[in-house]
Amino acid sequence: MSIFSYNGAAIVAMAGKECVAIGSDLRFGVQMQTITCDTPKVFKIHDKLYLGLSGLLTDAQTLHQKLMFRHNLYKLREERDMKPSTFGHMLSNALYERRFGPYFAAPVVAGLEPDGTPFLCGMDTIGAIETAKDFMITGTSPESLYGMCESMWRPDMEPDELFETVAQCLMSGFDRDALAGWGAVIHVITKDKVISRTLKTRMD
Amino acid sequence: LGTSIIALTFDGGVILGADSRTSTGNYIANRASDKITPLCDNVYTLRSGSASDTQAIAGYVQHFIAQHQAEEGDQVTVKTVANLVKMMAYNNKDFMQAGLIVAGFDKHGGGQVYSISLGGTVTATPFAMSGSGSTYINGFCDKYWRENMSEQDAMEFITRALRYAMTWDASSGGCIRTVTITAAGVKRQFIQGSQIPPTYGELPRQQVVA
Repeated sequence: MSIFSYNGAAIVAMAGKECVAIGSDLRFGVQMQTITCDTPKVFKIHDKLYLGLSGLLTDAQTLHQKLMFRHNLYKLREERDMKPSTFGHMLSNALYERRFGPYFAAPVVAGLEPDGTPFLCGMDTIGAIETAKDFMITGTSPESLYGMCESMWRPDMEPDELFETVAQCLMSGFDRDALAGWGAVIHVITKDKVISRTLKTRMD
Repeated sequence: LGTSIIALTFDGGVILGADSRTSTGNYIANRASDKITPLCDNVYTLRSGSASDTQAIAGYVQHFIAQHQAEEGDQVTVKTVANLVKMMAYNNKDFMQAGLIVAGFDKHGGGQVYSISLGGTVTATPFAMSGSGSTYINGFCDKYWRENMSEQDAMEFITRALRYAMTWDASSGGCIRTVTITAAGVKRQFIQGSQIPPTYGELPRQQVVA
């Protein structure tokens, strides 16, 4: 049994025209038993920056708390929010600090840079960072999610189209995963607002 | 085969019900599999455990029962079929991982359900459940099962039980397949995933935002 498939998750982030969308499933389970269906794996850092964390849920929650702490200190000192690219590199550093006793979490960072360009990056469990212009996924069934995203992603999607695409990729991806699903939440981040939608999906 | 399977007797026969998910690890290899297999005209089996082991057992039993039926010249009794399945499971217990429920209708005993667990134990009970999903519906079935239900009530009971098992067990899901066996014959039914009424998650709750 892999530690990364103890809880189960599916996270998809995509970039559109001056907007990004990030979504996750809502299942919280322990191996094959489902416990609740209202546990998102995407966390807000600030209005233009969201973080998705898959893997062991306890590590995902702890990492989120530690990063919120670091971001809050940053805001006090710099008197502004952290840029997504900076946040990504800070996260990478935080993960590598624990190279020989890592957090069992694989993050996806999605946000809008101060000039409005979308920023997407993903990391492995010890902080190897890769940025992307199209999409980033992580979870217990990466093959299903990659397949859906590669087929469905197009450049320069408007926010509503982007939401539909992320929703369909996420749902079709986790419908083939026994450990992810039971509802989904998707956040679409544009320069003046964030629209969060909860999806009703198959509950099996 | 992470699975939810359930069989029960009702007034006039038996109903067998199963989910349709076959998973290898956490990948869902088949989301519409058929876990209800005929062993002879009036006896069907529900399969849980290793898919290959149960398919092999079912294959052997189908063969031997066909021979036995030809010799009997009459309907085979459910008990005979259950005993044959038990022999397969018991004599190969070191190599097998198979939990089967054998259920059917014969004119001597009416509707009968036999549960054959891992080592080869046979237990005759009015209703039986097996598979990883069955653990989540033990309480539900104990509370809501009644003797001699009508066919419609029994059908509702099975679909409700399976629906809960499919919600809570990650290795069960897809659609619900049922087989009803009575004196009149065998009837197969299929309930699509979209037609299964919702459970947890559809109750009104606070908007989920990070």
